[in-house]
Amino acid sequence: MTMADRRPDEPDTSRAKRARIGDMDPSANPYLAHMYDVEKSELNGTGYSARNGSGNSSLTISPLSHLKRHQTTALQAHAAEDGPNNPFNNKPLSSNYFGILKTRRDLPVHKQRQEFLDMFHSTQILVFVGETGSGKTTQIPQFILFDDLPHFSGKLVACTQPRRVAAMSVAQRVANELDVILGEEVGYSIRFDDVSGPKTMLKYMTDGMLLREAMHDHDLTRYSCIILDEAHERTLSTDILMGLLKEVALRRPDLKIVIMSATLDAQKFQRYFNDAPLLAVPGRTHPVEIFYTPEPERDYVEAALRTVLQIHATESEGDILLFLTGEEEIEDACRKISLEADEMMREADAGPLKVYPLYGTLPPAQQQRIFEPAPPAARQGGRPGRKVIVSTNIAETSLTIDGIVYVVDPGFSKQKVYNPRIRVESLLVSPISKASAQQRAGRAGRTRPGKCFRLYTETAFKKELIEQTYPEILRSNLANTVLELKKLGIDDLVHFDLMDPPAPETLMRALEELNYLACLDDDGNLTALGKLASEFPLDPALAVMLISSPEFYCSNEILSLTALLSVPQIFVRPASAKKRADEMKALFAHPDGDHLTMLNVYHAFKGAEAQGDPKRWCHEHFLSLRALQSADDVRQQLKRIMEKSELELLSTPFNDKNYYTNIRRALVAGFFMQVAKKEGTGKTYKTIKDDQSVLLHPSTVLGVDSEWVVYNEFVLTTKNYVRTVTSVKPEWLLDIAPVYYDLSTFSKGEIKTALQKAADRIKRKQAQKGGR
Amino acid sequence: MATQDPSSRNGSEDQEEDYMNMVITEPDKHREKETYTQRRLRKERESEARGRVKSKAERAADEAAAREAALSASLFTDPEAAAKNKGLAMMAKMGFKPGAALGSEGNTSAMTEPIGISMKDDRGGVGLDAEKKRKFREAVEKEGKRIKAEEGDYRERVRREREEVRLDGMVGAAMRVAERMDAEREEQRAVDALGCVDESAEDPKKSAVSTKPLKSINVLWRGLVRKREEKERDQRMRYDLQQSLSRLPTYDDTNEDADDKRALGKVPTQHRFIEDIEEEDPELDEFNALDPAERLQKLVEYLREEYNYCFWCKFSYPDKEMDGCPGLTEEDHD
Repeated sequence: MTMADRRPDEPDTSRAKRARIGDMDPSANPYLAHMYDVEKSELNGTGYSARNGSGNSSLTISPLSHLKRHQTTALQAHAAEDGPNNPFNNKPLSSNYFGILKTRRDLPVHKQRQEFLDMFHSTQILVFVGETGSGKTTQIPQFILFDDLPHFSGKLVACTQPRRVAAMSVAQRVANELDVILGEEVGYSIRFDDVSGPKTMLKYMTDGMLLREAMHDHDLTRYSCIILDEAHERTLSTDILMGLLKEVALRRPDLKIVIMSATLDAQKFQRYFNDAPLLAVPGRTHPVEIFYTPEPERDYVEAALRTVLQIHATESEGDILLFLTGEEEIEDACRKISLEADEMMREADAGPLKVYPLYGTLPPAQQQRIFEPAPPAARQGGRPGRKVIVSTNIAETSLTIDGIVYVVDPGFSKQKVYNPRIRVESLLVSPISKASAQQRAGRAGRTRPGKCFRLYTETAFKKELIEQTYPEILRSNLANTVLELKKLGIDDLVHFDLMDPPAPETLMRALEELNYLACLDDDGNLTALGKLASEFPLDPALAVMLISSPEFYCSNEILSLTALLSVPQIFVRPASAKKRADEMKALFAHPDGDHLTMLNVYHAFKGAEAQGDPKRWCHEHFLSLRALQSADDVRQQLKRIMEKSELELLSTPFNDKNYYTNIRRALVAGFFMQVAKKEGTGKTYKTIKDDQSVLLHPSTVLGVDSEWVVYNEFVLTTKNYVRTVTSVKPEWLLDIAPVYYDLSTFSKGEIKTALQKAADRIKRKQAQKGGR
Repeated sequence: MATQDPSSRNGSEDQEEDYMNMVITEPDKHREKETYTQRRLRKERESEARGRVKSKAERAADEAAAREAALSASLFTDPEAAAKNKGLAMMAKMGFKPGAALGSEGNTSAMTEPIGISMKDDRGGVGLDAEKKRKFREAVEKEGKRIKAEEGDYRERVRREREEVRLDGMVGAAMRVAERMDAEREEQRAVDALGCVDESAEDPKKSAVSTKPLKSINVLWRGLVRKREEKERDQRMRYDLQQSLSRLPTYDDTNEDADDKRALGKVPTQHRFIEDIEEEDPELDEFNALDPAERLQKLVEYLREEYNYCFWCKFSYPDKEMDGCPGLTEEDHD
């Protein structure tokens, strides 16, 4: 009843409730039994009811069972939500549930529930626009559940998220809101972690996971509705999914698709989906006053620190959000702000200031700390305390932090770039887009009117910033994507209708790379190896390395190594203890390279000593426990795929002199396109075929006396670096990747000469062998 | 084209072209063979260049140059490499033509070129580089303007200087006219006074010059007289110097008596003007400080007033009206 009191605009809520109570248990009514029989037989006809076999009895008494799919109203859903039993599993609803329900109904999207349903019924594809804070990510999938009733048809509703953390945390939140256990009715699925079961009807998942599912089920038949959330972020997988769904929608008229986005560029989505209808829900935002600097800044970090401290000294209560580009910059800034703020407190009677860093690789527990309240005034009647969050662009869209009133925006972020001409994929600090800047400013107006300090001039905002951030598909190496598309059954990659098709050269490189890796034949068809490689959620080079590792008698080791290369950096090198960290790393160092060193670390980590107290062991050895543990998880997952694919797990005996050589040779099988050769007498190396001068990254354990190296990544900074390198022999390159190292394709030069010499050596050896 | 008949070289135009061709290709055909020493030196130079460890800056520049070169060249531009590329061949099979974009045909915003890469190596804020460039451009523009302005000044100055020289010349001429006319009038007066021509005054000009004190001469042409006297004195002194050989004319030799002095031509009166010339003359300085145009104007006016003479018409009018003279200035007489 409290609901009805609070919402006088829906006076018939109570009536609906009464009505429902009146004919509660309609299936129990013998006069109505035939209706339910029909429904049951229909379900049986489609063959889905078996899955919910145990729940059949509960289904019949569910308040949802008399609803007609895709014809429900907000009112009906409202009534079902009011309990007293959970409409989905018929368990009594907890008091906690009703508490959350109250707050849920205050969310902006709730006012437009009927409008949403009307539009949802009227179209196959719907574009939904809701600003952050409108509640779209948690509420819209639930609105759909009550209308689509997937559990009756044995299907699922999927809601994709660009980030793993978001998928997990939103799933947990929605499970709480629906008063169900996570992993049962509501679940999530992310790479290397699937928490869902046979009862699951709503699954939050990363966009990449849905894409992987589509590879085996081209029409996504498991799903009755697919929601692409945060589509404005334009991740690679979301873009591919949109292209795919556009095609699937034609083949499956029963599939409903909802594209959810923040306000930016919504018309573009509409146009792309053949003028799909659009529903917009305003967020709860307050006006934000924007300030520009009169002149461009010489040092944006310094200017940012100055601005933060100035806000602290002169502005009224309210927390500050500062955007910087990367971990190091953020940690450094946090230190400096803390120092300065302490001084301000002592000398200028400023309030206390608490500083929190926030970036992707920060452990979740520390990430949670940003939600701690601002510190209180230092003494009675003193100036109020404040918190400052120094963040990467994670805080731009994905995380909602209440209490932020001031935003400091230097206008930069670290962005992935890829250029097919030099085949470099790297993270570079670049100016943000206008859309990003607006998004950042918006963060200041979440709780009350706020201020945004842009550390650039208004002219620079207008002239220097691009309109929209380039979607990821334009900034990525597409080898993996092409493999996925092939596996998705898309053969005409040239005309595949993407929202923003990449540059043709990027596709050319990807096809070429896959051809060299023998994943595609010369006609562009998937080879057996390519099909196998696409089973692994890995870059093609890593997948190929893993698949060919049994041939080198070291698949166990390569499996570990692949896992290690798929997780964040395992070595920790804090600024305060660089020397000690380097000494510790030296304990594991293998003279032949970083890959082998990483493997040594992993083996030590799995040893009895380390496993006794892994936390302490990692701390002592300057290793990231989190990274190593997740490498362990990844290894498990990959191992399962290997077993399924009947790939043998082998090891060369450790005391065999070829133990490490085999591993290095297996490395070449995947990374033969990432090789550099030393130039003359200096420290520089030259990348094969692209002829780019590079230096070995200072973190390497490898001496400069290695003539040839394979590298894991090409890091583009003011200097070109190759990181994670291991020395190899030119003979292996010629032997293992003869197509790529076809000497006739090389232009004249040092590299060709050296390869030619190696080829001659091989010939001589063979002649000797033959002669004997 | 192969015809290289020397006899027909001067024939038709075609053959002339052949001749030209031959001349151009000739040096290439007969390239001089490298001598042993040259070869050795070249090899040495080359190996030195190879062996030299490049400085960090040089390396960075090389790296950046190689990167830029690679980034700016489309992978489709080199037809040979493109023909060999299997990726492109696959795309061609799917119906791709170089120059076109990917995606659905209706998509006009599709990219044909990859996104460029720009490296940021400092902490300069957004717009700082553009601001720097703008400032630099402004400075260049300003400098350009300044140079242009100076160029204008120079022309103006040259013109002015030339004009001054011309005016100076005319001032000199007017002075001479004024002096002559004044002298003639004085002579006339003297004649009128004596009634006859005095023999002793046969060369009045000369005596007048040498005797008349400078200060009594009209300031309008006093400068002319003074210059002439200075010149004369210089000549005389040089002459004296040459005559006396080793002595300055003013040198007072105690061993010489009056007779010696007379015999050597050392007459004290000869040096009277030196003092006169060297005397300060503020009136003349003041007059000389005036613009040549102004000086000229004064002279012209004086001549008109005193002698009914128009400097521009070069004519002495009979009366004050000076009927027939177009005006006071040079322009009036154009």
